[in-house]
This record gives sequence, structure tokens and C-alpha cells, in this order.
Amino acid sequence: MDDGLVVGQVVGGKFGDIIIRQKSGTDLEIGDIIVSEENGTYLVLQVFALQYGSQIQDRMQQMMSGVNMEQGVVDAQFYEPEFVNYVLARIKPLARIYRENGDVNIPKSLPPFFNKLRLITNDDLSFLQKEDDQIFVGYIRSGSKVIKEAQVWLPAQDVFSHHVLIPATTGRGKSNLVKTILWHMLDTNKVGALVLDAHDEYFGRNTLGLKDHPNARSNLVYYSPSNPPAGASRLTINLQSIKPEHFEGIVDFSDAQIQAIMTAYRNKRANWITEMMLTDPTALEMNGDSRRQGETAVSTMMVVQRKLRLMLSLEKDEEGRIYSRHEVFESTTRGIDTVNDIIQHISDGRVVVLDTSRLGDVAELLVGNIIATGLLQKYKDAKTTGELDRMPVATIVIEEAPRVIGEDVLTSKNDNIYATIAKEGRKFKVGLTAITQLSSVIPKTILANMNTKIILGNEMKQEREAIIASASQDLSEDDKNIASLDKGEAIITSIFVPFAMPVKIPLFEDVVKSRQQYITKPGKTRVF
Amino acid sequence: MGFQKQEALQKIERDVFSKIINECISRKVDFVLMPGDIFHVNIPEMSVQKFAFSMFRKLYEENIPVYVVYGSHDFSPVSNSVIDLLAEIGYITKVTQATSTDDGIIHLEFITDKATGVKITGLAGLKVGKDRDWYEVLDRQSLESEQGFKIFLFHGAISDMKVEYGASGDYMPLSLLPKKFAYYAGGHLHKFNHQKFSDYPHVVYPGTPFAGYHADLEENAKGQKRGFVMVEFEQTIRNVEFIPITNTTYNIIEIDADNRKSESVNQELQEKTTDSDSAEKIVIVKIRGEMTTGKTSDVNTSNVRDHLVKSGALAVNISRNSLTSKEYTITGATGNSRDEIESNVFKENVGQLRFSQKKLLNDEGVNLAKKLLRQLGQAQLVNEKKNEYLERVKIESLATLEVD
Repeated sequence: MDDGLVVGQVVGGKFGDIIIRQKSGTDLEIGDIIVSEENGTYLVLQVFALQYGSQIQDRMQQMMSGVNMEQGVVDAQFYEPEFVNYVLARIKPLARIYRENGDVNIPKSLPPFFNKLRLITNDDLSFLQKEDDQIFVGYIRSGSKVIKEAQVWLPAQDVFSHHVLIPATTGRGKSNLVKTILWHMLDTNKVGALVLDAHDEYFGRNTLGLKDHPNARSNLVYYSPSNPPAGASRLTINLQSIKPEHFEGIVDFSDAQIQAIMTAYRNKRANWITEMMLTDPTALEMNGDSRRQGETAVSTMMVVQRKLRLMLSLEKDEEGRIYSRHEVFESTTRGIDTVNDIIQHISDGRVVVLDTSRLGDVAELLVGNIIATGLLQKYKDAKTTGELDRMPVATIVIEEAPRVIGEDVLTSKNDNIYATIAKEGRKFKVGLTAITQLSSVIPKTILANMNTKIILGNEMKQEREAIIASASQDLSEDDKNIASLDKGEAIITSIFVPFAMPVKIPLFEDVVKSRQQYITKPGKTRVF
Repeated sequence: MGFQKQEALQKIERDVFSKIINECISRKVDFVLMPGDIFHVNIPEMSVQKFAFSMFRKLYEENIPVYVVYGSHDFSPVSNSVIDLLAEIGYITKVTQATSTDDGIIHLEFITDKATGVKITGLAGLKVGKDRDWYEVLDRQSLESEQGFKIFLFHGAISDMKVEYGASGDYMPLSLLPKKFAYYAGGHLHKFNHQKFSDYPHVVYPGTPFAGYHADLEENAKGQKRGFVMVEFEQTIRNVEFIPITNTTYNIIEIDADNRKSESVNQELQEKTTDSDSAEKIVIVKIRGEMTTGKTSDVNTSNVRDHLVKSGALAVNISRNSLTSKEYTITGATGNSRDEIESNVFKENVGQLRFSQKKLLNDEGVNLAKKLLRQLGQAQLVNEKKNEYLERVKIESLATLEVD
């Protein structure tokens, strides 16, 4: 190895916590990836801690400092300082790569004692070559240095069917990451996605967004309730698409309310919500065997009506027609096939973005619930008929995931469709892409099922611990590393990558611009 | 016009069209809008053309302009169609006046109706929703900023207008149509549909006046109203009214074959057709469901057809596409190529067959089936007439089967 490349030398430690002395003039960082070259293989290691080392005792150093500061001796220096004082880096092995065939194995041995180490280069990462049906996530990052030639591509089918967790606090590049992932989904029809976009930020109505992808016309479908841009669809869901079970795990109804709802559904079937909303509660006064029962029926109906009205923003116009203020729910024939259309788009491998920014929390989850239920059923049916193999993997991108898979939600209410997908969706090629600031409130059973985690920076120790405890690779030494992740920096831990990969997610705007330069301009259009 | 092949149905088709034209004349309409698919094909047979010319001449002589766009059935990429003939002699006006810039943007010009000052424009419909490409690159700004009372003609299915579950086909979102028109006259969907949206105050499909698919006849038999749309306007739209036009009477015979034997299905079919009053009616026979025993071919419909025709039925339409049998159900199979899929499907299913002719069974049967499929899948030759094509395929297929 060229001595100019050397950044350190192994001087001690143990497996998983190797100590190297940093070469003077180099500047190792937490997260730096370094290489130990060995016979026919090379070991990839990562710095997880840095500390000072010195040949001079602590007390002597402290005295020297006193002399320097208190005695005013300005030119006091250590003799051969680069030899006497230095930095010790603690490193852990990530992977052993075999030069001959590019095989990547989990390391089981230490690098040779006193072996000289160098920083990783592009050539060392040639095993990360893109293969078919993979999805781009970012560039390999060594500390804060980005190795742009080393792109990280994940096997899309496996990753999305085995669920993805994106733990991130605000301002760490979560939206940018999701947009970048969705952008690359649009390259092919191998992954279908339902995106509940609570901030209407992914499509890019007024800025760069998914709409700027060259395949957007064929592979992106955008639904918005208000003033959809040209080519986009109106998000209108007919109330007939909503069944009582769609509220499970989202809304608390008392037993009496559930009974009233089920009675309405039994009698009116698809029109149950409209009929309930149009029912005069006082007409129920004579229900039951006693006056008290009648009063209970009245008050139950009034509460159910109020809950439905608040959740779905329902109103009644002067002709007695039920409508929703945000125009998403409809009681006429409009929107009758929207759910089917969306499910069809997803199962055709398209990315469907729903602008739910005008919906309340519950209404947004309900919309997701209706679609997710239909989607899972379609994929289950496809498995029965043997068509599942030919279908693309489907993922449901849900923000603030604890709203539907949080411990408190799943213990206080029945399991909802999101929890069902998290537990059994993998068998049917349906997965969750859950985004959260609070991983710690997601049950361990569900976290363990999230087999890929793209970890962005997080200041909260409790959250880091939850993520580390459920990671696919051993991140027990990465607590500080995760805490110090800057905006756009991430660690990918997954059963589908050979080691926990530090990555830098590119700026979405740069991704778009780099693609746009290859788009050829259209010529004249012929109209008959 | 030109879809119906049976004489009785062709007559109804013409009667209905004639009634509509007469109705327009008697109501003294300012102009007529026809948003595509006036004809089933772009150059229909001469009798259809002759009839059409006579009808449009009547409107012309009454000074009633007709504004049209091509539909997915009658468009011609080289402007050589009966629509173009009618336009050339001035009986109708094609409203699509499009130019394209070098960057592919389409600009549409308006045509102004002389009598009313209404500004009209529109785009033709293409098969499999290809016209969507045009809407994607439409200069919407110039269309939306144009002042006055504006009408847009289009031919295509709009997803926002769906009123039934599971409607299939190529739909495009309403947002692709330019906004701020007073009225959107739509063609392509076969049922009357009128809806209002913000920025799109009246989007209207009049539907087919009689029947453009075989399934339309069944809908008619079940009570679907057919007709046209009358729009009353001054500065704004005052009223949109669907005017029903009666066409004929129907008799629908439905048989549920679920969990039954073919003999039992035949018996019910016989009874129902014998008892039915089918004279001067279009008779729809619909057999659906999965039988427990017997092949679907055991259900004898040819006798039924003969009987109904003898009873004076105008036309008999027998639908058995939804009839299956547990005794013989096609099992799907996969493969890496079309040829492999076909082979695998035949191999998967040939074992179910019980024939005395050995050449229909096992590998020999699979090979014969593949040969027959090739014969039946032949394309029409250039310059070959349709009846010649059908005869050729029939002869070659029978030769493959070694049947005289």
C-alpha cells in the first residue's frame, strides 16, 4: 500500500472494538469507512469512536497546559508532537470482501496486528453494482465524505415486501429521502405504491417533484380533492366504498354505537352512512321495549352521526344530499370506482400519490384503510389464483406511522389493516413503508418485521435505542453515530445489505436536474 | 350508424337516427353537436353512407349547422372518411382546427357559430385512449382565456364521470380537459350522463341513440333509455334535458345455470322460449352460471334461435359468455413465451377431454389445437375483403381438423 494513503495502524482492541492509531496529518471522522488489505481479501471497517492518545502522562500534560496558560510562555511546544500526541480511533469490522469473486461475508476475524489501514475508495465498493429491479437510495458515505461513484441500490421487490422503516426527526431530510425513493420507483413498474401525502409535497404542484420524472405520465397517478392539475385525478371517494370494518383500529366506537352501525349496514348495505346521516334520531324514540331504551337509541344515533360528521366532514345540503366539506367523500354516484381504480394502478406497478392535506387525521387514515384493505385482498386473491408471481410488489407509504401501528393504538383498539400488513403482508407481496419520529412506541413484534431501516439523524436517545435494538445488523456501537447524522445522511440496516451502510441521500432537486438533461425534446405533434 | 349487421336492427338504427334529426328540426335547434362515432367505421358501406347523407342534407337545408369531431371508430388519420366527405360538401363542420409548435404544443382554434356567436372547439377520440397524448400537450391557457360562450367537444371516457363499479376501459381524468367552457359535449360512453364540477359546469354524454355494442341491446331490454340531449342556453346554460327516443320492444330471457345439469338448463331454456311472446321484438337470451355436469356446448341454443326466429322475433341475441361448467373448466398456465403459454394451457386442459377421436387427445390433440389456433388467429390480407377472409379462415381451419 502506498504510505501516502495510510490513515492509521491497528494497535490493539478486540473483535468489534479494534483500536487504531491515526496517522498524523489525516483527519478521521466518526463513520469513516476504512480498509484493511489482507491476502486475497480486504476487510471493511468503520470508525465509531475517537479519543486522544499520548505518550506523556495525563498529569504532565496538565502541568504543561498550566505553564502555557498561566506562565505566559507562548512558544512552549511538544518535542516531535505528531509522535507524542495522536488520536486513537475505535473501529468495528463491517464486511470481508473477496477480491476474486466479489463475495461479501460477515467478518469473523481481526485484521493483522499493526496492519496499516487506508480510507475506502470507489474500487473497493465495486460489489455494490446495480442489478435489475433495484432501487437507488443514495451514495456510500465515509464520515462526511461522499463517494459518488459508489451508489447504493436495494433489491426493490425484497425490500418493499419486507417493510421499510424510516425513523427520522424533523429537519433531517425525511421528505427528500422519500421523494428520492419514489422517484426511482417510477423508473419501472416493478413496485406499486400508495402514498398518503399529508403535506402535498411529493407530486410537486408548484416545485420540482415526482411529476417531473420522464415516466410520470405512465407510472405516476396523482389524486387531489381540490383543483387537480391537468392530468391529475380528483380524489373523490363515494361513501358507498366505506364499510364499518374500515373504522377498526382508527376510531373508538362504543358497543352500542357499533351495534347501531352494524344494524344500518345490514339494512342499507352500501348506503349505510348516507342513511344514518339522514336519519332523524328522534324517530328512534319509540325503539325498544321501554322509554329508556328509546332514549338510548336516540342518543346513540346522535353520537354516531356526530362522529361521522366530524370524521368525514359531512354536511347535508338543502336538497338533503350528504356531501363533505373537503369534497373527498360523496354520497351520489361520483367516486364510485375511485378505490378500485387506485388499487388497479398500484397493482399495475404505478405510484399513486393521494393529496390528503385537506383531510383530517382520521379521514386520511380511513382513506388509506379502505384502499389498503382492498389492495391486500386483491393480492391475497392473486395468490390463490397463482397470479401473484406476475404482480409487482406493493407498498403503502404512511407518515406518522404510530397513528396506526403505535402500541397504544393496537392495544386499545382492534388490529387495523396496517398492523395486519406489517404482520402478514410479506406473504402477499404487500408491505409498509412507515415513516416515524417515534420508533419506540411501535411494538417490537412489528419493528422486528420491518426488515429494512433507513435511519436518519435522531437526537432522542430513547428512539435511537429502539432503532438499534431492532436493527438487522449490530448497531450497538452506533448510538453516537446516529445522533451525529447530519441532514441527508443515513444508515441503512437491512437483511438485504451485507452490512449497515452509511449513505448520503442526494438532494432531490439534483436528482431531477441530472435526469432532465437526458430528456429529448419532442417534435411537432400531429393531430387528426 | 353502420354497427348493426341484421336487417331488422339496421332499420331500427336508421329509424332512431331519423327521429332524432326530425326532432331537432321540429324543435328548431340552433345547431347540432356530434362528439364522435357517428359511424361504426370511418368508411361504412354505401347504404349507410347514402342514408347519412340524406339525413345531414335535411339539417343543412334547414340551416342547422352540425359540429363534429372524429370518434375512436370513425377517425381517419389521413382525413379520408365519410365524415370528411360530409364536411367537404358542407353538411357538417369538423371543429378540430389544430396547429402544433416545434416543441409539440397543440393550439386549437375556435369555430364561431354564425347565428349564435358560440365558440366551439374540440379534439377527436382515438382508439385505446391515444388522444390523451394530445391533451397532455394542449395549449390550455389560450383556450381557457378565450372570452365568450364556449363549447368543447371531446370523445373519450372521463374517470370522474364513472357511475358504476368496475367500469373498465381507457379513462382519462377530467382535469385534462381545458377549463372554463360553458359546456362539454362528450362522446364514447354509451349511457346518458350529465355531471357538474367546479370549472366544468356541464359535462354531458348523450349516450348511444340505439346500440353500439351487443351489450347495449341487453341494457335496452332492461329498460335503459336512449335518446339525445337538448341544451337551452343564452349567456349561460339554462337547461340540459335528455330527450328519450323509443327504438323497439324487447324480450329478455335469463337463465341461471349455477349448480345445474345441462339437461335441466336446456329444459328451462326450451320452456321459456316456447312461452315467450317474441313477435316483432328483439330477444336477448342470457345464460350464465357454472353448471355441475355437462359441457357448455351441451346447452343447445341453435334450436332456441330457430324457434324464436320462426316466432317472428326481429333479432335474437344469445349470450353465453358467462356460462361455465365444473365438468370442463379451462385451467390457466404460465410460460416464458406466447408459444409456451399456449402449449402449457392446452397440455393442462387436454386431459379433461373425453373423445373417441384419438387425434383430439394427448400430445396429438395439443398439436392440433395449436395448429387450429394459428389458423383462427390469421390476420386479414391486404386487399382481401372481409367475407373472403372469413371464408378462407373457415376452409383452412376445417382442413386442419380434416373435416369437410
